[in-house]
Amino acid sequence: MSLEVRGLHAGYGRLPVLHGIDLDAADGELVAVIGANGAGKTTLLRALSGLLTATAGTVRLGDADVTGLGPERLARAGLAHVPENRLVFPSLSVDDNLVLGGYTRRRGPAAERSRARDRALALFPRLEPRMRQAAGTLSGGEQQMLAIARGLMAQPRVLVLDEPSVGLAPRLVGEIFSALGRLRDGGLTLVVVEQNARAAFAVADRAYVMDRGRVVLEGEPATLMSDPRVTAGFLGGGFAAEVPAPGPAAPRPSAPGDGGRR
Amino acid sequence: MTDLLQLLFAGLSQGAVYALIAIGFVAIFTVSGVINLAQGEFAALAGLVAISAAGGGMLLPAAAVLAVSTVAIVAVVMERLVIFPVRGMTTLVSLILTLGVSTGLKALMLLIYGPDAKGLEPLFPGAFDLAGVSIRYQELLILAVAGVVALAVYWFYEKTLAGKSLRACAEQPVAARLVGISLSRASLLSFLIAGCVGAIGGVLASPIYFTGWESGLTLGLKGFVAATLGGLVSVRGAVLGGLLLGVLENLTAGYISTGLRDAVAFFLLIVVLVARPSGIFGRHAEARV
Repeated sequence: MSLEVRGLHAGYGRLPVLHGIDLDAADGELVAVIGANGAGKTTLLRALSGLLTATAGTVRLGDADVTGLGPERLARAGLAHVPENRLVFPSLSVDDNLVLGGYTRRRGPAAERSRARDRALALFPRLEPRMRQAAGTLSGGEQQMLAIARGLMAQPRVLVLDEPSVGLAPRLVGEIFSALGRLRDGGLTLVVVEQNARAAFAVADRAYVMDRGRVVLEGEPATLMSDPRVTAGFLGGGFAAEVPAPGPAAPRPSAPGDGGRR
Repeated sequence: MTDLLQLLFAGLSQGAVYALIAIGFVAIFTVSGVINLAQGEFAALAGLVAISAAGGGMLLPAAAVLAVSTVAIVAVVMERLVIFPVRGMTTLVSLILTLGVSTGLKALMLLIYGPDAKGLEPLFPGAFDLAGVSIRYQELLILAVAGVVALAVYWFYEKTLAGKSLRACAEQPVAARLVGISLSRASLLSFLIAGCVGAIGGVLASPIYFTGWESGLTLGLKGFVAATLGGLVSVRGAVLGGLLLGVLENLTAGYISTGLRDAVAFFLLIVVLVARPSGIFGRHAEARV
């Protein structure tokens, strides 16, 4: 299922954070959204999944306009959100976390629920021996896997993830992102918000760069990788060449190889 | 020795009533951070409804069911009218709101049932002697019913999807919403549970301790202290806290002075809040269950 965001504005109380975001994820596409701390990435996901009400703009899920729906309705409509810092239910067992992940499908056929569970466990076999353990006792990597598996239990058509790599060892980051790649290959649409641009670019089909509540760059990871504004800001090399906000008088870094994209 | 056993037994049955009221505090607090000061009024109202229904000739079990259902409805209506509409509820705001509800319910009970405290006639009157300890059948009934109710509540939270969804709301409200659990429905359900267990406690206590329009104040405070002893977040802690409080009260009344009975709860509360704010049975910084 595709996701289409047009002119999305959102914020907290009187503090606007997003200033007109346009974003598309085609059916079966893995889209990465990168940006520095405070760029509005998490706010974007919160507005997508209905935790935050957008003040303007539209969100379409497939053919349906889902703007303004709460998270419960959106989960039922096919969008699952894997939140920042995983937020597993710590005192509940891994098994119960998965059961609650399928909460919106609780009245659906049991066979479908158990299929979703088998698929999630096939993706993260490490969870299998831990089913009876309290989720709070899992390692950070296992909790991230559980958070993703819990999201998959809702049988989503679009999965959005907030910083799945945060606080994880590089080997685990690779493991998580390759699992996301496999989900995409299985036909799921994914939007991954990341600060770890290198990890996200390794699997993403397309990427957006956000800064101060706006999308400032968009393109394929390979081209973005060689863009000096991205290499300077997000792939190491310091923050000297900060991505400028778009505007008539915004100075652009005159680095060689900048072909004036966007 | 006989004295001690007698006091222990009386303490346990009284503590079982506190435990039921304490479970109500925990059920609501974990889901929404609301401290429901009307929890004691739930128990008092149930006692009065049962007394007046039984006085009107209704069979005792039917009167008990009527009392519990009435209070369940009152609790649910209270949640929808007073708690649900408030945006950005904090514990402090909840104290003020539920204090208002508690005062209103007291006035209502005074108007309907009059100023005199009454006792429900016991389902099984009489007592028997066991090793020199006089045991009233009603006290056994209190212990048995409270035990079954506490186990049922525990089973609900551990084994059913609805119970697990309430724990999910308590532990990670944001993630609970993301998996599609409605916080509004969870809050309503928590008030329903609190209303039912509180009412059962009130009906059970009525034959022994008498019920009047003001009884809710002491019952509610004792229940709150019991819940706090357990850290305010665990059903098991609330039950243990209730039993402990009941036993300590009776030992104090028996060995020191009956006048000090009601002081025990507040002395305990101060000691626990200063020494172990997370409750005597709770681990520090334990997740809210």
